Amino acid sequence: MLHLRISVLAVLCGWVVTVSADEPRLRDRIDESVASAWQREKLTPAAPATDSEFLRRVSLDLVGTIPTHDEAVAFLDDVSPGKRDALIERLLADPRHAQHRADLWDLILFGRNPPGYDTDKRDGFQSWLCEQFANNVPYDVLARTILKAEGNSAEQGAPLFFVQYRNQPEDCNEAITQTFLGIQLQCARCHDHPFEPWTQQDFFGMAAFLARLEVVQVGKKDELTMWAIGEKSTGDVLFTGPAAKQTPGKKGEPVKPKFLHGEPLVEPALPDGFKEVKFENNKPPPAPQFSRKDQLAEWITKPDNPYFARAITNRIWSQFFGRGLVHPVDNMSPSKTPTHPELLDELTKQLIAHQFDLRWLTRELVSSRAYQLSSNGATGEPMPNWFEHARSRPLSAEELVASWRVATGFDVVDAAKEKKDEKKPNSKSRFKPLQWEYVIRFFGQPNNGTGDFQGGLQEHLYLNNGQLGSLLVNGQGSLIDAIAKSDASPEERIDRLFLSLLTRRATDAEKQRFTEYLAADKNQDRLRDAIWVLMTCGEFRFNH
Amino acid sequence: MPPTCSRSEHLSRRALFKGTLATAAGGVVMNFGGLTSSAALAEEVKREKKHCILLWMNGGISQFETFDMKVGRPTGGVFRPISTNVPGTQVCELMPKMAQQMDKIAVIRSMRTSEVDHPGGIYLMHTGYRPSANVRFPEVGAIVAKYHGSEGSDLPNFVKVSTQGDAGAGFLGPKYLPFGVGSRGELPTFSASPHDPAHELRRHELRSFLEDEYVRTRKSDLVRMHRESYEAARRLNKAREVFKIDAEWEQHRELYGDSAFGRRCLLARKLVESGVPFIEVGQSSYDSHADNFAWHKGLAPPMEHAWAGLLVDLQQRGLLEKTLVVWAGEIGRTPKINNRAGRDHYVRSWTTALAGCGIKGGVVYGESDADGVEVKDKPVTEGDFFATIYHALSLDPKAENLAGVRPVPLAPFGSKVVSDLFG
Repeated sequence: MLHLRISVLAVLCGWVVTVSADEPRLRDRIDESVASAWQREKLTPAAPATDSEFLRRVSLDLVGTIPTHDEAVAFLDDVSPGKRDALIERLLADPRHAQHRADLWDLILFGRNPPGYDTDKRDGFQSWLCEQFANNVPYDVLARTILKAEGNSAEQGAPLFFVQYRNQPEDCNEAITQTFLGIQLQCARCHDHPFEPWTQQDFFGMAAFLARLEVVQVGKKDELTMWAIGEKSTGDVLFTGPAAKQTPGKKGEPVKPKFLHGEPLVEPALPDGFKEVKFENNKPPPAPQFSRKDQLAEWITKPDNPYFARAITNRIWSQFFGRGLVHPVDNMSPSKTPTHPELLDELTKQLIAHQFDLRWLTRELVSSRAYQLSSNGATGEPMPNWFEHARSRPLSAEELVASWRVATGFDVVDAAKEKKDEKKPNSKSRFKPLQWEYVIRFFGQPNNGTGDFQGGLQEHLYLNNGQLGSLLVNGQGSLIDAIAKSDASPEERIDRLFLSLLTRRATDAEKQRFTEYLAADKNQDRLRDAIWVLMTCGEFRFNH
Repeated sequence: MPPTCSRSEHLSRRALFKGTLATAAGGVVMNFGGLTSSAALAEEVKREKKHCILLWMNGGISQFETFDMKVGRPTGGVFRPISTNVPGTQVCELMPKMAQQMDKIAVIRSMRTSEVDHPGGIYLMHTGYRPSANVRFPEVGAIVAKYHGSEGSDLPNFVKVSTQGDAGAGFLGPKYLPFGVGSRGELPTFSASPHDPAHELRRHELRSFLEDEYVRTRKSDLVRMHRESYEAARRLNKAREVFKIDAEWEQHRELYGDSAFGRRCLLARKLVESGVPFIEVGQSSYDSHADNFAWHKGLAPPMEHAWAGLLVDLQQRGLLEKTLVVWAGEIGRTPKINNRAGRDHYVRSWTTALAGCGIKGGVVYGESDADGVEVKDKPVTEGDFFATIYHALSLDPKAENLAGVRPVPLAPFGSKVVSDLFG
């Protein structure tokens, strides 16, 4: 009975029950580890983040948007001691958390300009992804589903990943090892790697698992073409030796599948008189006699795969701390020592013990004191090596638009109108009233969620002279409406502006300057200017 | 890391002491304080200020149909050679205008490079380095922008007109990113402010107040870079007139030849005159796997007309001695003519050319063998090519920038300047 009560309590608190009570929480292990590195490196950590800083940061990181004015006021004025934990729980359970994770993973798996025909139409894949994160599907299951690619790209979604690499087993191999194992084999495509242990035989041994895949069109669903991934029972990759020694017309030797630095794949012999099938359009391709791809999917996602769990642990860490414990996260070659080796081991071990529960890992990371430091450190470095201050990163295109819509109240005004229109939203309507094409052109990169900021002057042409004015609507629920109709003091109105856009109250100097600016004439242009300033300033552009 | 300089802005000490590093007033002064702000060096910077125009032959123009003809050989193709204004030097009949400007250019007939396909070749011939997973190398334009650009100029320091290459500023950071304009030299969408100048100024001042407040109490490299780009965008608004070249085009149409590429070259000259240190002007599509001769017959004449016009125009204005004009694509083309009358990709022996900025005119450097299969004499690698470009621009090819903690020289380690090209 007592035992039952504890587990119920644990579930209510959102804890996973596999951890015994006396084991320290992972968040504490994180803090111990980074603190000992500070001591060794003689670094003074930044102060803890203020409530404003924390609220804005964690909202962007977990639900992909800044909080509304009312949410900001409620959180800042809340005096209960557990309010940060409660906020984290609320955000993790928010449907926008799943959407935000799906946005991130869509870009990890496809990028902005994916190779392959029809891979720009990802509605099926994206809604599948969103569903996985909404149900907190364990990461190994998620990865296995992508790699097994069962069903079709419109209804099941997952098979779209392979559509990028039609008849390109080598490219596919590079993408899979880089994305799921965090290692880069591309050098070994043409020659043995000069200082990593990857040989050309390793490369082609892995590519051999993917040599028999074919992209088959199996029908249409609404606007989307349904693609399925067929697998033949025969066929091999051919290996011709180092690229530098190749001569025209030279035929290569077939290479058998072999797990990276592991065993060769044992394959059953084909039945006597086996005749290879030809895949036909509009018919689901029949399963092969023996699936190499499925064997690869199982091997990659096993908990004891030497790369898989470390790679995802490192990647998720980097999403909240800027820099991977091995950086960059998709190049964890054996020769690279992590900045905090014991921490990476511990995180990986615990993620496996928690059955690849990414929501649990996320909760531990954002609950750590290290994540909750101020980003205002001794240096302005966006991705500090020792995590002595919080990282800064540019908002993604999706986050920028969502945040602008929330801040200006466009969201509210538009939702009221949408109800009347009853139009079916699509993936681009989230960018309304801005044009998806422009937003992606100016803010589409970087999309790896780090501080690798490359925004040049072009983005400012859009911010200064582009379409932002269309967000400044007037209707019920808009920011302009709230300010214009307010009978609060000028200073309180300035606070409302700052809380709506920057999730903080204005300083005295800011109150004075903005009040003067707005008071100079009653023209609403001035209010629009003030909102534009807050929408385009550096403090808004970054998550810090 | 000392807070006063960001990691991308370190210069080689040795290079500074040697004094071969011509620097623009801005970035370097900021970092090296007293050392570079001395009156003497500022004077030298002014004197040394140089420019570079890269004429980019996208897809890979054929050496056989331009400067390295193999008359009477099976690899020779269908065109005839013509004489030039340099006795003993012949070029392809597709280039009558350039034939009269050969005394201004140096041709390198012995290029041997290491990336044989387009993406790798484009990267290589814009950066001097092969693509790498670990280091994002900057394009030559970003490097020239860094050393010859001026902080706070109204115009961007690195302009690309209808061209390829996406390495951008690499590890040098967004300050040196290229500014792309359209194929007719038009400014990108959203270049013009919708507000009247007074309105624009007043909201700018409010924005500046807010940004000042922010940096007063906080350190952030990202916010600093964001603000620098904002300032550059705003200054560009003032300089928009430079891109309006219709009237001038009417007067120069004949000199540059009536083509889109000619118009782009005129814009490049105008930008040089306005102080822009690096302009890249592109022409597509030389990737002639089929019908090589027809493609070159269509593409080369307008290109060479514009190129010749550009050289003449620069010289008449006294700009050629401080403007390096580089002519190159990402690859050369095969000696073998394939079964579709095409030539495929080839990097074992091909051709580029340089002019201006101290380059000796009338020189043909290096040699390919009788059929153009191998370099016979004096091979020039991509590293040597870029070392030569930097040397011409008074930059030490060994000067280093930091990519993270790794020092990266301007031209790859071991590259040699082709000193025979300098008078």
